[in-house]
Amino acid sequence: MTSPAPIVASGLVRHFGSGDSAVKAVDGVDLQVNDGEIFGFLGPNGAGKSTTVRVLTTLLKPTGGSARVAGFDVATEADKVRRAIGVALQDAAIDPLMTGRELLALQCVLYGIPKARSASRGEELLERVGLTAAGDRRVGTYSGGMRRRLDLALSLVHEPSVLFLDEPTTGLDPMSRLTLWEEVRRLNREGTTVLLTTQYLEEADQLADRVAIIDHGRIVREGVPRDLKAAVGAPTLLVNVKPEQIESARSVLARFGDLRPTAEGTLGVGLVQGAEAVATVIRALDEAGVHVQHLELNEPSLDDVFAEATGYRLEGAETSAPAVAGPPAGKPGRRRR
Amino acid sequence: MSAITHDAAAVGSTRPGLGVGRLVAHTTSLTKRSVIGRLRQPAALAPSFIFPLFFAALGAASFSRIADRPDFQAIAPSFLNYNAAGAILQGVLFAAVSASGDLATDIEQGFFERLLASPVSRTSIILGRLGSAMVVAMVQVVVFLAIFMVFGARIETGVVGFFGLLVGGALLALAMAGLMSGVAVRSGSPEVVQGSFPLVFALMFLSSAFFPRIYMTGWYRTVADWNPMSHIVEGMQSFMNEPLALDQFLRAWVIPLIVAAAGIMFALRALSTRLKAL
Repeated sequence: MTSPAPIVASGLVRHFGSGDSAVKAVDGVDLQVNDGEIFGFLGPNGAGKSTTVRVLTTLLKPTGGSARVAGFDVATEADKVRRAIGVALQDAAIDPLMTGRELLALQCVLYGIPKARSASRGEELLERVGLTAAGDRRVGTYSGGMRRRLDLALSLVHEPSVLFLDEPTTGLDPMSRLTLWEEVRRLNREGTTVLLTTQYLEEADQLADRVAIIDHGRIVREGVPRDLKAAVGAPTLLVNVKPEQIESARSVLARFGDLRPTAEGTLGVGLVQGAEAVATVIRALDEAGVHVQHLELNEPSLDDVFAEATGYRLEGAETSAPAVAGPPAGKPGRRRR
Repeated sequence: MSAITHDAAAVGSTRPGLGVGRLVAHTTSLTKRSVIGRLRQPAALAPSFIFPLFFAALGAASFSRIADRPDFQAIAPSFLNYNAAGAILQGVLFAAVSASGDLATDIEQGFFERLLASPVSRTSIILGRLGSAMVVAMVQVVVFLAIFMVFGARIETGVVGFFGLLVGGALLALAMAGLMSGVAVRSGSPEVVQGSFPLVFALMFLSSAFFPRIYMTGWYRTVADWNPMSHIVEGMQSFMNEPLALDQFLRAWVIPLIVAAAGIMFALRALSTRLKAL
């Protein structure tokens, strides 16, 4: 018998407030995360991804629709859901006055881990996240990366079948992000289903088997990153020109494909004829008297998928996490472009 | 890591205990966490020790000769003996309000949410704070008594009186922390909880905590007569001084217990309201 998907949401709605002033944070989300997947929930701040996660982790009640997590209804079987899942929330503080070991011991009690087992479980987890030496230090002395790793360890004390990570690497330095990514992959290899929210395109691309792009409380695209990018089709040619030549450049570029949303001051066009058309575009710009300051050809990325789906791009620092050093450690066959 | 499953039946293997056992285990652990947190913030804890001792020293220096009066002698053999209960009351109330402030801080900073994401017994979130207030109160009783005794106070009623003060202090902490925890959960703001200090001050200074009611007159006397703090502190004073009578036990223990019951109900109702609003 096939076991049900560990996370299923159907028409999930969460409003804040009521009447005309109600804020529709989640507005009819349908979602299925399959067993053993890493599922990326991608969107800008305020898109509804954290609210969705909070409903799925029983921290908020749905206004409408339904969701089942680990086989239990989030509204009527909330306590059973909590026992089955691990949760690391971006804004759930870790008590800075306690040590890592003390917090793990507390977490073990809350999840009903027998006392005889809790000490060794705490040590296992500290070792797993590389905090054995810092286990007796107060959390207030930890770096941001150490706190996130401890947070992850805390979410794992009861060996959850489903793990929710809400923006697990926001604000972390590149090395800490790599360490956390590796740990998430390792957990996934061991069988844990992971739903992670992120506003970093690279993170979703690197980690997720499937992604959902959420905007204004609705899922606007969902699928395997490679397929989503392929569906966007043509590569994007980004062109920077002098401000007074933007309109001229825009009319030239429009002859080679659809103009695409880009950062301010940059023009983007999806090249229908592919990369081969670049030389022709440059010549056409030159003939129109447009002086090209910078030119860049990008294969379709999740940012293009996002832009194509929403009409705008994830902006600035929110979209581009600090670049990580070294070769991508993603799944085989997956490459950041 | 051992095999991980997601089917509903397998979850039962990591299921925490149910009912009272679960509540006790969670409350004990959260009490321990709260006590550790209090002890690791000496700057926050110190005022609840220093200010009562300062006021006691001030009172003893100013009014110690009043203890020579026969009508005062009927209440306590020395001003220090009289004042010890007032100092305990003051310290315990301060510490209990601070403990409730920590609960509001948990809500404001997100630790409360971390707890809610776990299968913690919701009631234990409140009871853990109350437990820590009681533990700190008992430590305060011991410390204050030790200091007062160094300066000449005596527990005339012996071990029974000491025990009475210990329990009385803990119950008083339970009462105040219960009420203030309700405020903390309802407001989610440490500032609102701390803002109740003036009320605590007023309750103390309009009672017989620092001066016997027999020397009060007019409206001040009327307010002190009706102020439950007067009756609590007089019950506590009686544990220091002979004769020890049953009605004093009742005043020192039962009044805080009634307030505590109301306070805990208020706090749990506030918690329930907050959880329903999620």
